[in-house]
Amino acid sequence: MLKVVAACGNGMGSSQIIKMKIAKVFKKLNIEADIHHMSVGEAKSAANGFDVVFCGATLVENFSGRNKKTIIIGLVNLLSETEIEAKIREHLTLPE
Amino acid sequence: MEQILLTINLVSKGFADNILTKPEFFIGILVFIGYLLLGKPIYEAFGGFIKAAVGMMIWNVGAGGLVNTFRPILAGLNDRFALHAAVIDPYFGLNAASEAIKSIGMSLSWTMVSLMVGFGWNILLVLFRRQTKCRTLFLTGHIMIQQATTCTWLVFFAIPELRNIEGAMWIGILAGTYWAVFSNLTVEPTQELTEGGGFAVGHQQMGWVWLTSKLAPLLGDPEHTVENIKLPRWLSMFNDNVITTGVLMIVFFGVIMGILGEPYLRGVDKAGFPASLAFPTYILSKSLLFSVYLFILISGVRMFVSELTESFRGISEKVLPGALPAVDCAATFGFSSPNTVLFGFLFGCLGQFVAIAGLFLFKLPILIITGFVPVFFDNATTAVFANKFGGVRAAGILTFCTGLIQVSGGAFAAWYFQLYQYGGWHGNIDWDTLWPLIGVIMKNFSMVGMFAVIAAMLVIPQIQYRRSADKEHYFHQGSE
Repeated sequence: MLKVVAACGNGMGSSQIIKMKIAKVFKKLNIEADIHHMSVGEAKSAANGFDVVFCGATLVENFSGRNKKTIIIGLVNLLSETEIEAKIREHLTLPE
Repeated sequence: MEQILLTINLVSKGFADNILTKPEFFIGILVFIGYLLLGKPIYEAFGGFIKAAVGMMIWNVGAGGLVNTFRPILAGLNDRFALHAAVIDPYFGLNAASEAIKSIGMSLSWTMVSLMVGFGWNILLVLFRRQTKCRTLFLTGHIMIQQATTCTWLVFFAIPELRNIEGAMWIGILAGTYWAVFSNLTVEPTQELTEGGGFAVGHQQMGWVWLTSKLAPLLGDPEHTVENIKLPRWLSMFNDNVITTGVLMIVFFGVIMGILGEPYLRGVDKAGFPASLAFPTYILSKSLLFSVYLFILISGVRMFVSELTESFRGISEKVLPGALPAVDCAATFGFSSPNTVLFGFLFGCLGQFVAIAGLFLFKLPILIITGFVPVFFDNATTAVFANKFGGVRAAGILTFCTGLIQVSGGAFAAWYFQLYQYGGWHGNIDWDTLWPLIGVIMKNFSMVGMFAVIAAMLVIPQIQYRRSADKEHYFHQGSE
């Protein structure tokens, strides 16, 4: 089970959109994922406990210099499932 | 026959006494029904009920803490300088509006009725889009809660005869019309910014986004963008709501408590300020306490809103496939550089500080304290759109103006709608311009005024449609 968190400035609007969109994409790709959403502030402190962090492209820098094993994925269009799928394929090794 | 009527009476009284006075159960039931309508299993619906109810109860804990921390300081300002202070932030505004609604003996469940009616009305307006020209469904749950609550207070305040179920319905229609019409207004600028991203803005500055997209080209050159400007790296810490709120509270309440003075505060806040505690420690811990309670309040809202949004979204996908979703303004941030967002924060702050200084210079009896959401999200959104349509010059000028208007409009609204008594006002730019105007109209013309406002808003998409160059494309924005 992949532990995933969606983060945005206030932890409410965008992170919830991202969460619903990535849930859809993970389901399509047949990857089991436990997805949470929170603010960037909380996610910064919690990132170590997650495998993947999704956030808006402008927020990626907040996670720089943290641990190496958590994958940070920045999204330009939070509503685009195509972009989310492409980025998941790029960053994660998918089971065949 | 009489028996049946009696039973109905008994049931409805039981419902009113036990559910309507307990908004946590009311919203829990809404979520429960929503999930069942979506065909989710009953255990998931029950889980939704619990999370929604618990979320609302957490909110209450935060709200209570905020009020208790606030009271001595607000009372002190009033005592010593005859000043009323209001934090302009939607969460402080939400808090203030709900306290005000409770103070006139009404329950927050009315707000939830308005919320449901507003959402349903928005669906209807889009369902009949050929006639209404509305294409967007407002889906930003936390914003809908804040706006429905503030709107409920505005109407209850302006038109006392509407403090009942009929009023709650009309409030829903008023709010729903705003959601449908103004998110619809952001379609073209958002589509242009995101190069057909397929969404619209459903937030707190929709009218402003439209106006910005019209004004920006007159103020600057879209070729000279913010991207070329180097901003100091430390500014990026303001992306974080905990840090920003903490800093703002330390600055503002630190100054206020400094002015009130140590002896005074020791006198009024005996329990919180024991003799062993030094003044600077007191100031620091008190200021951060605001962030703590705000954080608790937001966590509660997040918990029940995430359930509500999930069921709202499910319902809308079933009833209205293909309608353009109106979502959080932060969804547009990715289409600009991180610089733009911080640039907006910087110039917006500057505008707000100038306006706050103005309140002092003109000796107005109201003091405005900056909140995170307007200073960050409103100004960032303004900057993103201004930068797209008018470059760095437009972004600087327009966000500076946004800051000025947020404070002056907010000061007027907090005073006029008497929410300064509860320490907060909604504070986002549409609520410092459009909504105070609507409130004043309703206060002076009562129900006629409210109907006129609803009718006037419904005309906007008609004009928008008439003026659009490619009428067939109007209904297919973002679907390609």
